[in-house]
Amino acid sequence: MSSSEYDYESLGLVAGLEIHQQLDTETKLFCESPTEIREPEDAERTITRFLHPTKSELGELDDAALEESRVDREFEYLAYDTTCLVEEDDEPPTEVDDEALAVAMQIASLLDMQIVDQLHVMRKLVIDGSNTSGFQRTMLLGQEGEIQTSDGPVSVVDLLLEEESAQRVEERDDGVLYSLDRLGVPLVEIGTGPDIRSPQQAKEAAERIGMLLRSTGKVKRGLGTIRQDVNVSIEEGARVEIKGVQALDQIDEIVELEVQRQSELVDIAAELGEREAGVGDTQDVTAVFEDTDSGVIGGALGSGGKVTAVPLFGFDGLVGREIQPDRRLGTEFSDHAKRHGAGGIFHTDELPAYGVTEAEVDALREAVDAGPEDAVAIVAADPETADLAIEAVAERAATAIEGVPEETRDATEEGTTRYLRPLPGAARMYPETDVPPVEPDPSEIEEPELLTAKVDRYQDEFGLDSGLAEQVAYGRRMPLFEEAVEQGVDATFAASVLESTVVELRRDDVPVENLADAHFLAVFELVADDELAKEGVGDVLTVLAEQPDLSAEDAVEEAGLGGVDEGEVREVIVGVVERNSEQVAEEGMAAFSGLMGECMGQLRGKADGETISSILREEIGKRS
Amino acid sequence: MNPGDRIRVTHAGVENEGVLMPSSTADHLVLKLDGGYNIGIDRDDATVDVLETDVYDVGDEDKPDDDGVSEIEFDDDLPTVSLISTGGTIASTVDYRTGAVTAQFTAEDVLRAVPELAGRANYRGRVVANILSENMDPSIWQQLARAVHEEIEAGADGVVVMHGTDTMQYSASVLSFMLDTPVPIVFTGSQRSADRPSSDNVMNAVCAVEAAKHDCAEVLLCMHASASDEQCALHRGTRVRKNHTSRRDAFETVGNRPLATVDYADARDDGADGETADAFDFNREYAERGAVDLALADDLDPEVELVKFTPGMDPAAWDYLDDKAGVIIEGTGLGHVHTDLIPRIEALVDDGTVVAMTSQCLEGRVCDRVYDTGRDLLDAGVVEAGDTLPGTAKVKLMWALANRDDPAAAMERSLAGEITEESQPWR
Repeated sequence: MSSSEYDYESLGLVAGLEIHQQLDTETKLFCESPTEIREPEDAERTITRFLHPTKSELGELDDAALEESRVDREFEYLAYDTTCLVEEDDEPPTEVDDEALAVAMQIASLLDMQIVDQLHVMRKLVIDGSNTSGFQRTMLLGQEGEIQTSDGPVSVVDLLLEEESAQRVEERDDGVLYSLDRLGVPLVEIGTGPDIRSPQQAKEAAERIGMLLRSTGKVKRGLGTIRQDVNVSIEEGARVEIKGVQALDQIDEIVELEVQRQSELVDIAAELGEREAGVGDTQDVTAVFEDTDSGVIGGALGSGGKVTAVPLFGFDGLVGREIQPDRRLGTEFSDHAKRHGAGGIFHTDELPAYGVTEAEVDALREAVDAGPEDAVAIVAADPETADLAIEAVAERAATAIEGVPEETRDATEEGTTRYLRPLPGAARMYPETDVPPVEPDPSEIEEPELLTAKVDRYQDEFGLDSGLAEQVAYGRRMPLFEEAVEQGVDATFAASVLESTVVELRRDDVPVENLADAHFLAVFELVADDELAKEGVGDVLTVLAEQPDLSAEDAVEEAGLGGVDEGEVREVIVGVVERNSEQVAEEGMAAFSGLMGECMGQLRGKADGETISSILREEIGKRS
Repeated sequence: MNPGDRIRVTHAGVENEGVLMPSSTADHLVLKLDGGYNIGIDRDDATVDVLETDVYDVGDEDKPDDDGVSEIEFDDDLPTVSLISTGGTIASTVDYRTGAVTAQFTAEDVLRAVPELAGRANYRGRVVANILSENMDPSIWQQLARAVHEEIEAGADGVVVMHGTDTMQYSASVLSFMLDTPVPIVFTGSQRSADRPSSDNVMNAVCAVEAAKHDCAEVLLCMHASASDEQCALHRGTRVRKNHTSRRDAFETVGNRPLATVDYADARDDGADGETADAFDFNREYAERGAVDLALADDLDPEVELVKFTPGMDPAAWDYLDDKAGVIIEGTGLGHVHTDLIPRIEALVDDGTVVAMTSQCLEGRVCDRVYDTGRDLLDAGVVEAGDTLPGTAKVKLMWALANRDDPAAAMERSLAGEITEESQPWR
């Protein structure tokens, strides 16, 4: 059945969203480092660390944290001239950043939330290395909010202000390389209630929250700065948390495909129930493959490894059953094996293949007492991995008989998901004793104008057309536009530079990402002071994008637009008029349009069109 | 209503359920919600229902759980290492009263907290104190020295002292003077508390235990050598100083490389089955295991002050030095103070106080023969403590006053490696 054919209401679809948005503050949440993202090659030094699981204040160990720590991994961190000892976990954090707190309260207010009386910074155990400390600092700031969608209201359960994790740069055999630039950037996490009933509503709710976030003008923009997690369950399924959905327009698809996965797993569980299926004991079956031609298995055995197997009684044909496009029940088993370091699994629904012969499959079945109704899964790896991985497969297979497991999954680019870790629990939280509690003052919140309101105002007040108004309001340079207009720049001009000109330059492969707000403001100022013609703005921005360290004045020189005063302009125009003196004498003012073209060709960017035209008229007038 | 109860709180139209936690302020109830978050709720106008009492045992200081290594087995093939705990960050947990971190573990808990120690040695656990190291005083130093002495007498092949980092260098120094030791005595601690996954306690403890199994029978201090979890440094107890407030590698041997480095991966892997790890790289000669007989001289004269001269100081600040048995001056440069203070020093010496000069430069030795002020100080009866670190000089003088006939002369000679005989840098 294709995913779009599901009847979500009768399946009992329940979905919720968790939206993570980086804030665009001057400094990080718990130190004075800037929130600037760097290139790994700019790193100045590296440090290496190990992490060890610790118990919560209630004396419990968290399942998710424990699973992450089973593998002894070494983490390496890249440090920059924009990071400090706090990110390196070598200095205590500062108090909560005021600006981040103000923006988060603004967001809470836009979401109609109640702000918590006293914020307690917590440590959420995360020992995959993405936090040097082994925990993420996070605080619950808002509760009980609500947003509207066309299918009814969606409750907003909580708003958390927390620190962003370190960026993963490279996965290694025995660990991970992380970059410290992103660690500590303020992040808000917004969780909706389980009120969403259709994939479309999920998307609409995410869009609405995104619009509210951007209305503050204080959120980061661009890839990776906003991430959506989606929690999905159907009535007979289980709560599954899907991490890391980067594109808004993927949300409906993710929900559709998760519904498909859970429905298929429910069907498979029913079928396994009927077959009275079971999972047998794991065994060493290395002997079966001693002379194998399979590259994968032979390779593992050649380097001292072994082959382990688990008989899956009553599973024949179901391990290979597709539950999402290109993903089978066997893929789920394989994900668990991979978490424990194996490259993957083979199972009898797909064998003989990959160099494994029919005779070997028969011998394998015989070795583990599997009949024709049964399936067998195998792992080939070093002895420790092979044992751990096959146990994980057996565990996951046993769960398949029950139905859908509760877990955290990772979104793939195709909209499908793969197993990440068990759902995290409350046991991973304990108080951050280095940061005192904060008592926020909700009376200080300034509620920003919504982007929807801005679109209307830009049209009414500035006379922008609706398309440009929307482009500017939703664009990432909205705060810059407002600042420029505030400083007296003509709104239509500012809007067309910030949207049209920048888009054109990007199309011409100009590195516009290098242009900072200060570049634009300086260029606007030169135009206002008549030191640069509007027509030259594109050229000057091009120079600045290529050489961001230049001043705007130097960029004007560099673009060849500098130092032209009216006398020089007149000189050029007189030259043009004199070269065409016959035509001027004959046609008088009728020669204007032809000569104007020639003048503009020589003076583009050095003087604006109006000046040129008035001087040209004057000079023609003198001669006719 | 008590901490640990499950309660429902309604305040400003928001209803929250969770476990009541101890609160550090009177105005707020602190609630742990089911998701694990704590929030503070204004007590005023809050309606509270207790749903269930004693759901959790929170804030209970001594609650060992039985799932860990509680029985420590003795294996005749393994060396025996005594773990002596004095408190500090290496064995600390959250204090609910202040919300800050305090020391609460026994030495046995350390084994539970650092399972990586298992199998490396037989352990004897002992708690001498349970204090933050800023609360150390000479009487605890004496208790500590006696405990170490008893452990070695009882057959320990090495001793690891777990200590808060703030004053670890003082304790290590004082034990260097009090004990002649045939086995290693290794101080260690952590700069990141043990309740966080990134704590440096695991690596420091593993390297310290391996050092305690090693052949270098001195009083040592074992802490991170860099910001990375790669190597620990072994410092001589009398030459080490905490030179950073927060970094893992805060401790440095002043004016020289550390005595040795310990490679963590090698220490962890090589020593895991009780073997002596091949993980050490020594930069200098050291006293070998068994070279001296165990001896304890634990008398101290606590009447010693360490004073710092700074420009513009009120000379009255030194009035309280009357009747002190000893004074260590942390002078400027080669060992100077304002000329006007010299008569004051002369009066102290005349009254029988031993006054020794060290330098706030920390690196390099004092030399009061170069300038007039120095010569005047020598004439006033000041003794030069060479390149002895000021803190080390203080505990040394406490010890020398109680154990040596001529304590002033003792300050000019190296008793436990505290004075570098020859200024050869970075050997």
